[in-house]
Amino acid sequence: MGRGIGERLAQKIQSLTFLMVGQNRNPLQFFPYLTIAAFLAPIILGLVGTWLPAFGYLPIIGADDFTLQSYRELLAHPSLPGALRSTLISGLSATLISLFLSLWITAHLYGTAFWSFIQRTLAPLLAIPHAAFALGLTFLIAPSGWLIRLFSPGLTGFVFPPDWATTRDPLAISLTITMIFKEVPFLLLMTIGALNQLDIKRTVWVGRSLGFQKFKVWMRLVIPQLYPMLRLPVLAVLAYSLSVVDLALIIGPSLPPPLAVLIDRWFNDPDLSMRLIGAAGATLLFIVITFFIGVFIVVEHVVAMLTRPRLLNGLRHSWWGQMKSTATLAAVTVITTTGLSLFLLSLWSVAKNWRFPDALPRHLSLFYWTKSLPLIVEPFLTAAAVGLSSAVIAIILVLGCLENELHLSRSKIDSISQKSILIIYLPLLIPQIGFLFGIQTIVTNLHIEGSWFSLIWVHLVFVLPYIFLTLATTYRNYDQRYVQVATILSGSSLHSFFRVKVVMLTKPILFSLAVGFAVSIAQYLPTLYVGAGRFATITTETVSLASGSDRRVIAVYALCQFLLPFLVYSLAIWLPALLFRNRQLMKN
Amino acid sequence: MLKTIFLLPVFIFCSFLFSADQAQSSDWEKIMQKARGQTVYFNGWGGSDPINDYIRWAGDQVKKRYQVEVKHVKVSDIGEVVSRILAEKSGGREHGGSVDLMWINGENFSTMKRNNLLQPPYSQLLPHLSLVDTENKKSTLYDFTVPVDNMEVPWGMAQLVFLYDKEHIKTHPKNMGELLSFAETHPGRVSYPLPPNFHGTTFLKQALIELTPDRKQLSRPVSESDFDLVTTPLWDYLDKLHPHMWRKGTSFPANGSEMKQLLNDGELFIALSFNPAEASNGIATGELPESIRTYVHDSGTIGNSHFVAIPFNASAREGALVFANFLLSPEAQARKSDPAIWGDPTVLSMDKLNREEKNMFQSIPQGVATLSPEALGTVLLEPHASWVEALEKGWLKRYSR
Repeated sequence: MGRGIGERLAQKIQSLTFLMVGQNRNPLQFFPYLTIAAFLAPIILGLVGTWLPAFGYLPIIGADDFTLQSYRELLAHPSLPGALRSTLISGLSATLISLFLSLWITAHLYGTAFWSFIQRTLAPLLAIPHAAFALGLTFLIAPSGWLIRLFSPGLTGFVFPPDWATTRDPLAISLTITMIFKEVPFLLLMTIGALNQLDIKRTVWVGRSLGFQKFKVWMRLVIPQLYPMLRLPVLAVLAYSLSVVDLALIIGPSLPPPLAVLIDRWFNDPDLSMRLIGAAGATLLFIVITFFIGVFIVVEHVVAMLTRPRLLNGLRHSWWGQMKSTATLAAVTVITTTGLSLFLLSLWSVAKNWRFPDALPRHLSLFYWTKSLPLIVEPFLTAAAVGLSSAVIAIILVLGCLENELHLSRSKIDSISQKSILIIYLPLLIPQIGFLFGIQTIVTNLHIEGSWFSLIWVHLVFVLPYIFLTLATTYRNYDQRYVQVATILSGSSLHSFFRVKVVMLTKPILFSLAVGFAVSIAQYLPTLYVGAGRFATITTETVSLASGSDRRVIAVYALCQFLLPFLVYSLAIWLPALLFRNRQLMKN
Repeated sequence: MLKTIFLLPVFIFCSFLFSADQAQSSDWEKIMQKARGQTVYFNGWGGSDPINDYIRWAGDQVKKRYQVEVKHVKVSDIGEVVSRILAEKSGGREHGGSVDLMWINGENFSTMKRNNLLQPPYSQLLPHLSLVDTENKKSTLYDFTVPVDNMEVPWGMAQLVFLYDKEHIKTHPKNMGELLSFAETHPGRVSYPLPPNFHGTTFLKQALIELTPDRKQLSRPVSESDFDLVTTPLWDYLDKLHPHMWRKGTSFPANGSEMKQLLNDGELFIALSFNPAEASNGIATGELPESIRTYVHDSGTIGNSHFVAIPFNASAREGALVFANFLLSPEAQARKSDPAIWGDPTVLSMDKLNREEKNMFQSIPQGVATLSPEALGTVLLEPHASWVEALEKGWLKRYSR
């Protein structure tokens, strides 16, 4: 034990001197530093900007002594217990159910014709912005929604919509379901990326030849290899579900709302001293998220330990393996619900007036499309420019970091810089609203607010973690021997990197580019705060319109907002197929 | 001679007036000159398409006439903009701020005024300010009882009104008591927006004014009154109302706009709005059916004003002044009050306008669902600003668990 630490220390010293002396002029070594530099500043400042007020220090509103007062007020707040309850119920169950469903669907359906259909539908499923989806889903399942309209008044006898809590229910069930519908496609995308690195065909072949039912092969052989690659995305889903605001505002409970919504409200309260409680709340949410990430990891280990004996019990068949139809049903439900939500958004965008119980609008009109489209062009292009720049920069940084990691591990160097790269996940753990005030103050101090530079930078803060998350595991599992062979043949490591590795990894790289792009498109508050109102994107326009509620206008904007990530996701899915149509072995 | 002596003081007085007027107009000339070429970032709630259209029109006009460019920064909550200005103040940004003009009133104004986030008094510079009806529209001088002190420019008037569909219900309630019996006979069809939303808090204040035995206490700060005594009738009322409300009072619409949509859906039978012409505007844009009508309570409803204000560190102060002055012009105010455009009542006094200007207002068709000024009845003044927070806290403690 002691020797281990000594060794590691020695290695660290060696690696430090190694970097300082720079014997090996490895240009990659700068990537982790560059990446951290782009992040450390905003994260630390963002945290300071949150923690100082949480401890009662916000001189601008006359609060300048350090106290625990805001925590006392937070804990005494009548809404806190209820808010925490709905945050935990919805966040934890959404994560667990999404994980379960995505594995269930993959295990049962992988390799079937329906699986390729699922893959084809992923682009629109992922591209539909969370808020737009929640809106579309409300149009579907609300008491005055389409499902009830279809059967009213004929079957139900309803002349007026029933008073049912199918949305905004106090137990946050509708919120949980909405999150599941959005997270299952994300986890499926991550699974597809990870499966590319496993030799599924042969694994299944070996398992089947030993007499294992296909489902058993997945449970016994594939999932134990697959899960470690899904861990980070799952934790990101967990952190996201615990801190979601926009979805919760539309479809979540209101008495009290989830904690993140309360925090958001406190930070916008006309009474400036509420920002102190908001900051304390943001800190509490940070602790809650960190705690449950810890719990999740512990539970993972416990589950692994408990199920290990069963992995070896040699049973060839299981009753669960017969339940393929449930997986199909789950996938069909997710796809049709999202499809219907999009359909209803489209229908509302051309409706004139559409009242209950009409199943279809009586009069259609393109008025809001023709009126809004000319106004949408500029915000649309701005969003595309910011999204593409931040996603491409993030991809370059992440590729650099991962290559450097490989280089270091080859040289057996245990680098500090590489470990500290973990801090880029921080933006996922801290509720945006608390974190942004700090960033905003700094950007203002530096007089760089409202510039393309600062806007892309702040988008990077949120885009980069997702790109790292979606790319790292697959990248690390890449069989480096291909590059070795290529280097031997071509004599150039750069050549083999671009001509072999990048080409072989095109699919995961494009996937994470698309994810990063979609994350950028979703940013409302960062764009507004750091953009200082100088940049109107399709998202700032949509979100501000959504705070009123002419459904027809919101639907037009939401559909345009959907279009951007949809294009990029489609590209990510179709481009590799097109580029490599003549490379048989690259088809998994 | 006698005549001359008699007229002399009049003459002197008149020339005085004239020169004062001239001084003001030459100041304004200078402001207009400086404003030329400036870009005004007007930050405001962007949740209404007709309002956004109106602001775009106003921006186009000042661009054409005064070469001032207006960019409408649309936000979902003006609190986000207050935060940004606060961050600028924290960062010591005394000039070159990102907000030149913002749409504001009530608590946010009181906060910004108290924390020195606004320009020192400036609205007296605007030539059109003298047209404002400060005599009959007191809320243009006192924003939620906080003195405006020339630190914001009146833009429009608001009064709480209720919307209903005459196809759904024959008779509408005329006071809070009748609203309760209406809710009892129409379970699940009544609600109000979730406090601390602006509309929700207004509903609470309206109920409080109608129900409390001692209305006078409301014009004093909460700390000087017996909160429990004054508010007990309100809580008793809500305790009785909630079980009969939409979703049995376990869930509330987010804001007034959502109520309007729920009214259209038939989930609710009564919606509320701060714009007396909301229903007519909704009918004009096709958002609401022709059968929607407006009503107010017998004893009157709460009214207030909304304003535009220039933050302390505005970059285009002159441009903002020119734009604010244009928003106050009879032309812009008349267009704004057209239910087919927006339907926001004017802050101007008809008595201070010339015939042509008056005509602009009078020629506007008011729409089937708009009440006449007489039918709108008494405008109740807002309680003292401190009541808002106290009511919100009391409400949260009781119902948001």
